[in-house]
Amino acid sequence: MDKPGHRLTLLPVDRGTVRAVIVSLVLFALAGMLWADLWRFTSPVEPRTRVPAWATDIATVRQPSLRPEIEIVGFTYRCSTCHRLFPPRPTTGRTLTQHRDIVLKHGINDRCLNCHHPENREAFVDDKGSEISYDQPQLLCAKCHGPVYRDWTHGVHGRTNGYWDAAFGPVERKLCTACHDPHVPPFPPMRPAPGPNTLRMGDQRRFHARHEEQENPLLIYQRPTSRDELDEKEHE
Amino acid sequence: MRRYFAFLWDCARLSFVGDWRYHGWMTVLTLITLVGVYAYCHQLVYGLVTTGMTDQVSWGAYIANFTYLVGLAAAAAMLVIPVYVYRNMHLHDVVIFGELLAIAVIIMCLLFVMVDLGRPDRFLHLLQRFNFPMSMLTWDVIALNGYLLLNLHICGYLVYMAYCGREPSKVFYVPFVFVAIVWAVSIHTVTAFLYVGLGGRPFWNSAIIAPRFLASAFAAGPALIILTLQIVRRCTSHRVRDDALLTLRRIVQVAMLINMFLLGCELFTEFYTDSAHTASARYLYFGLSGRGALVPWIWTAIVFDSLAMIILLLPASRGLTLLNLACVLAIVGIWIEKGMGLIVPAFVPTPLGEIVEYMPTWHEIMVCLGIWAFGLLLYTIMVRITIPVLSGQVRARGRHDQNELKAAHATRT
Amino acid sequence: MSAADNTPNNPTHGAPAGAAPEPSRRGFLRMGVNAVAGAAALAAALSPLRDLDPDDAPSLEEFFQKHYKEMSAEEKQAALARIAEQVRRRFKLPADRAVNVQDPPPMDGVEFVYALNVSRCIGCRKCVHACAKENNTSRSPEIQYIRVLQMQKGSIDVETSEHHYDPIKIPDHQAYYLPVQCHQCAKPPCVKVCPTEATWQEPDGITVIDYDWCIGCRYCEAACPYWARRFNFGKPQIPADELNLDMAYLSNRPRSKGVMEKCTFCLHRTRRGRMPACVEVCPTGSRKFGNVLDPDSEVAYILRHKRVFVFKEEVGTLPRFFYYFDERGSRYHEPIEVFEPGEST
Repeated sequence: MDKPGHRLTLLPVDRGTVRAVIVSLVLFALAGMLWADLWRFTSPVEPRTRVPAWATDIATVRQPSLRPEIEIVGFTYRCSTCHRLFPPRPTTGRTLTQHRDIVLKHGINDRCLNCHHPENREAFVDDKGSEISYDQPQLLCAKCHGPVYRDWTHGVHGRTNGYWDAAFGPVERKLCTACHDPHVPPFPPMRPAPGPNTLRMGDQRRFHARHEEQENPLLIYQRPTSRDELDEKEHE
Repeated sequence: MRRYFAFLWDCARLSFVGDWRYHGWMTVLTLITLVGVYAYCHQLVYGLVTTGMTDQVSWGAYIANFTYLVGLAAAAAMLVIPVYVYRNMHLHDVVIFGELLAIAVIIMCLLFVMVDLGRPDRFLHLLQRFNFPMSMLTWDVIALNGYLLLNLHICGYLVYMAYCGREPSKVFYVPFVFVAIVWAVSIHTVTAFLYVGLGGRPFWNSAIIAPRFLASAFAAGPALIILTLQIVRRCTSHRVRDDALLTLRRIVQVAMLINMFLLGCELFTEFYTDSAHTASARYLYFGLSGRGALVPWIWTAIVFDSLAMIILLLPASRGLTLLNLACVLAIVGIWIEKGMGLIVPAFVPTPLGEIVEYMPTWHEIMVCLGIWAFGLLLYTIMVRITIPVLSGQVRARGRHDQNELKAAHATRT
Repeated sequence: MSAADNTPNNPTHGAPAGAAPEPSRRGFLRMGVNAVAGAAALAAALSPLRDLDPDDAPSLEEFFQKHYKEMSAEEKQAALARIAEQVRRRFKLPADRAVNVQDPPPMDGVEFVYALNVSRCIGCRKCVHACAKENNTSRSPEIQYIRVLQMQKGSIDVETSEHHYDPIKIPDHQAYYLPVQCHQCAKPPCVKVCPTEATWQEPDGITVIDYDWCIGCRYCEAACPYWARRFNFGKPQIPADELNLDMAYLSNRPRSKGVMEKCTFCLHRTRRGRMPACVEVCPTGSRKFGNVLDPDSEVAYILRHKRVFVFKEEVGTLPRFFYYFDERGSRYHEPIEVFEPGEST
């Protein structure tokens, strides 16, 4: 190496200094890039799914008034308003001329007076012909739906709102008509609330691989029947 | 005590000295480490959403690398066993490099766990409520930190004694070496048990995981050491005999054979049974429901592992070119199959049958590379310090040496 | 080759060959410049932290807060007050909105059990959304404790299930529906694996999480066989007008990023005798909840009289969540076939 005294007047360009300068420049360049946030983070989080208000609403699907009333052209009338004017007909099974908007699809129960009291239209009728009050529909349904009624009394059928512990508050058992339209009792099909849209979920369109359906023994051995095809069309 | 500080100071100074290749290497590693720090800072600010992990695949690249590196750390014991148990002196001079690698790698493991935590500021909670012995993670904490301390002690003691010019006393390191052998096997077994004990993940809930971990670790670890020893031979004055490399080759050969046999056992069990529990294996090897991002990876890993095994069986792999090729194939292949090929498939499909695929993000990759670079940085510094100290080039200055130095200074200026 | 390129002929004995020689001005300057560059690069690497939300950094009280089980009553009160204050600040609530953070203790003689009627569930997902609203879970990224599976008829294998169904009308008559949430298992694997005991099971059967203790390692999420646990990968976003401000320490108070959460059977409601949100919203009344130790409760009746099964029973976690089925089911579109005696089926 040269004697130090010789080159003091010129810039020090020995290899060590060059190396140090290169390293420093590289580090400063990196510092600049990082400070400028060159690889910033872009969030993959999607905006929240719009959840319709009904999806969190605890109201039951029906809100029956539990009063013997009917609404006609915006006015509410008690059943007796009309029915005290007309004497009860002895024959049954005739075609309705009023209340034609009510469709009765209650399985094999196709006779109105199986449920409605023949004399007092503001009440229901029980097995022996006595009246069941309009606000006690469960006693009426219990006439035929014994096991379901038994479950209902124990809280196992139908919904319970409010409190599970009666010591803290009311245990609100929902009545039958809060869910079931007495004339068309099956629970109505509905649109489901929005499905999951979790972080980085990817494309979740169902990949119907033949493989998976073959894993289900029931589906392998079932052959579609004509009724199934009709149902498919109904659900389109 | 003053001499110990002088030792530390000399070590620090020594790590900045080297030729242009050394400085270039260290600069590159520093750059990568800093980029890793930068990416991790983003993670601290935004949360683990900067990674590709989700509720469905809740462990990813960080834990994959952690698992692989615990294996490498355990493999340092593979150098120690031949020397101390079987008195195979071929490896005697290179044992220290295995131990130093173990230190660097364990620190990398601990870093990978730290970056994976959602609340790293709370890791001290581990000291306050420790769910030992039920939680396998607590066993892992004890095992990893204990292993780190063991190796730090062994290496530190040997190097410091060499620095002081004293003969190391056997009672201060030989018992620790034997404990380290057992401990090395246990760290990897404990890490395997983290996964094995989970009944909800049938892909992991298999007795073969722990033996496979050990077999693949003992293939990949010595393979890495073979490569690093050749670099040490090339770049430093330390002499590495070919006998050492060949003994390590033998270890990698046998371990790789066992690893491939265990892989065969696993494949048979999964695919012959073909029950619903094997969905994760089907996802990994063949894809599930049209999703198969991991399929090319695992087959690459199997090809690499098989090639490495075959090459190592050939006598021609005694030559360094083929040996190095086999080592690289083994290291990469085992990294894939143990890291991504073990951790990620257990989460696909989820216990509820959902398929969400996992892809590490750039931030995640940068953090991983940063930690790898930091580990290599540590290892390079340790090797840089150890070789001159052990060979006697760097010694503690005695009192009169100090005065000589001062006199020499005075005359020069 | 490790020889330094400057002053190779250093005759001083004992000095490390290849070490930096006696300091020269040039060497010092070089070191200085490199050190400054290094420090600048490190500072730049740490620069993203300037965007760190001060609310995300733990306050001193939070940092030194003890585990829930070790806190005294006063410490708990202080923690509840701190949380209420944080909620107010984080969501910028006006003073007239009351923030109520409580810590209801478990009730004596109570063990909560959940029962779900698979015959009645129509898969409407109202429970999912009612739960999210009740428990202040993040809307983006979306976290929902309940996941409803549309299962193929004849299969209990979740591989064949569909999570993302969206037909015009449900129920799909070729399917049945299995909503899954935390089963509050009696032998919970999540509690077994938590390294810091941040999750544990309370005497009334609910597995809870201390959100201020969890370190976010997600081992519990890997351990759960029912995929019931959720992690806050990002900062949870909840619109302030949808916040449920009737909160409890162990259940629905807003969480920070980096911690776990899950269904807690709405303990802020149920420990005061109320029904959980999912039970109250279910339109078909498929969800049943109560104290199984009370022989007159709904759930005790179900376990005695209904055909009950346990989901993934083989994993042995003894869930407190039972699925049952009773007569008929979601096939109301089919007419009832009348069986005439004497006719062959």
